[in-house]
Amino acid sequence: MGDLTLYALAVFLTLTAPLAVGLLMGVDRKLTARMQNRVGPPLLQPFYDLFKLLGKERRLINPSQAYFALGYLLLEGTSLVVLAAQGDLLVVFFLSGAGSLFLVLGAFSARSPFSQMGAQRELLQILAYEPVFFLIIVSIGIQEHSFISRDMSQNLIVTLPLSLIALVAVLVIKLQKSPYDIAHAHTELVSGPLVEYSGPYLATVELARWAEIAVVFGILTLFWNDPEPVAALLGKMVLVFAALFTTLVIDNVTARLTRRRMVTFTLSFGIALVAANIIWNLYLGQGVGI
Amino acid sequence: MKSPWILHFDTGSCNGCDLEIWALLTPKYDVERFGMVNKANPKHADILLITGPVTKKCEERLRKLYEQTPEPKLVIACGDCASTGAPFMDCYNHNHGVNNVIPVDVFVPGCACRPEAIIDAVIIGINKWKEKAEAMETNVSHEDKIMPDDSPRSDQ
Repeated sequence: MGDLTLYALAVFLTLTAPLAVGLLMGVDRKLTARMQNRVGPPLLQPFYDLFKLLGKERRLINPSQAYFALGYLLLEGTSLVVLAAQGDLLVVFFLSGAGSLFLVLGAFSARSPFSQMGAQRELLQILAYEPVFFLIIVSIGIQEHSFISRDMSQNLIVTLPLSLIALVAVLVIKLQKSPYDIAHAHTELVSGPLVEYSGPYLATVELARWAEIAVVFGILTLFWNDPEPVAALLGKMVLVFAALFTTLVIDNVTARLTRRRMVTFTLSFGIALVAANIIWNLYLGQGVGI
Repeated sequence: MKSPWILHFDTGSCNGCDLEIWALLTPKYDVERFGMVNKANPKHADILLITGPVTKKCEERLRKLYEQTPEPKLVIACGDCASTGAPFMDCYNHNHGVNNVIPVDVFVPGCACRPEAIIDAVIIGINKWKEKAEAMETNVSHEDKIMPDDSPRSDQ
C-alpha cells in the first residue's frame, strides 16, 4: 500500500469507527431488549439520541465544563487517529487514558454530590482496568516484538488467549455493563460523571465515549490477522461481535457488584491472566524468548 | 422526535399513577420501542411525567426540576390529581394540579391513568415537539447559558 492509500484509510477509519460503535450500541440495546423479552428500540436509536441532544438548549454549570467535554473528545479522537494510522499502541493507550481523565475533571468541576461521587468512581474504574489494559498491550508487544500496529502479523488469539479474556473484562468496565457499571450506576447515581452535562455537551461526551470504545475494539481487532484482506476483515468483525455478545450476556445475567470487588477482581484475576499468558509464552511454551 | 427521554416525578401521588408509569418500562408495554428511556435526571430529560396534585412541600422542587430541564421540553400531567387535584378537592395543603405551578402540555385523565393513555399522551406530546423546537429557535439564545447550581445541599 502506498502512503496516500494509508492516509486515506486512516482518515476513513477515524471518521467511521465512532459511527460504527454507535451502530454497535444500537445492536447492544436491541439485543439487550430481546434478552429481556422486549421489542427494543430501532437499530439507529443511539444516533436519534445524539441528534436530539445536539438540537437542545446549550446549558452549562460552569464554563470549564465545556472545555473538559471537548478535551475528552479531542484526546479520544487523537488516540483513534494514531490507532487508525496503524501507529504505536502505547501512544494510543496513554492518549486514551488522558482522555478519560478529562471526563473525570469535567465531573469534578460541578459541585453536585452525584457528579462528585460519579467522578470518584470513574477514577476507581480507571484504576481497575488501566493496569490490565496496559499489560494486555505489553503482552501484544512482547509477542509481536513491536508496539507498532502496522507490524502485527500473527493470530494473537492463538498465542494470547488469556489476554483476550482479560480484554473482555476491560470491555465490560468500559462499556459500563453489569457487574462493573460502578460509575454510571443508573439506579443509584443516575448517570455518574455525566449527570451535570446536558444538550450538545452531553452529545460531545457521548461521541467521545464512542471514540474511546472504538479504541478498545480497535485493539481487539489486532488479535486476528490474515494475509487475505477479506478473511482478515471478516475475522476481525466476528471477534468484535463475539466480544460484544459476551459482555451483553454478562450484563444481563449479573447484578452490580461493589467497587471494591471490581478493583480486587481486575487487579488480581485480570493481571494474573495476562501474566500467566506472558510467562507461558516466554518460558514454558513454544513461544519466542526475548 | 424519536428519542423522548423521561423524568418521572411524584408530587404527592398515592403511587397509583406511578405504578402505571413504571408499567410502561415492562416487557408488556416496552416504551423503549419509541426510544423512551427513563433518565431520572432533569438535565437529560425531554418530557416530564408528573403525578400527584403538587403538595405545598413539593412545589419548589417541581419548579426547580422544570427550570433545570433544557428547552425544548414537554410536561405531561398524569392522572386526575395532576390534572385538576380533584380527588383531594378543598384540601388546604396542595396546589390543585400541576398546571398551577408549571405550564402543562398534555393532561392524562384517569384515577389511576392507564399505561396506554400515558403512551398516547407522549405521542401527542411528540407531535407538539416541532412547534416547541421552533419556539425555542426564536426565544432561546444560541449562546452558552451558565446556570450555576447555587441551591443549598441539604434538603430544606
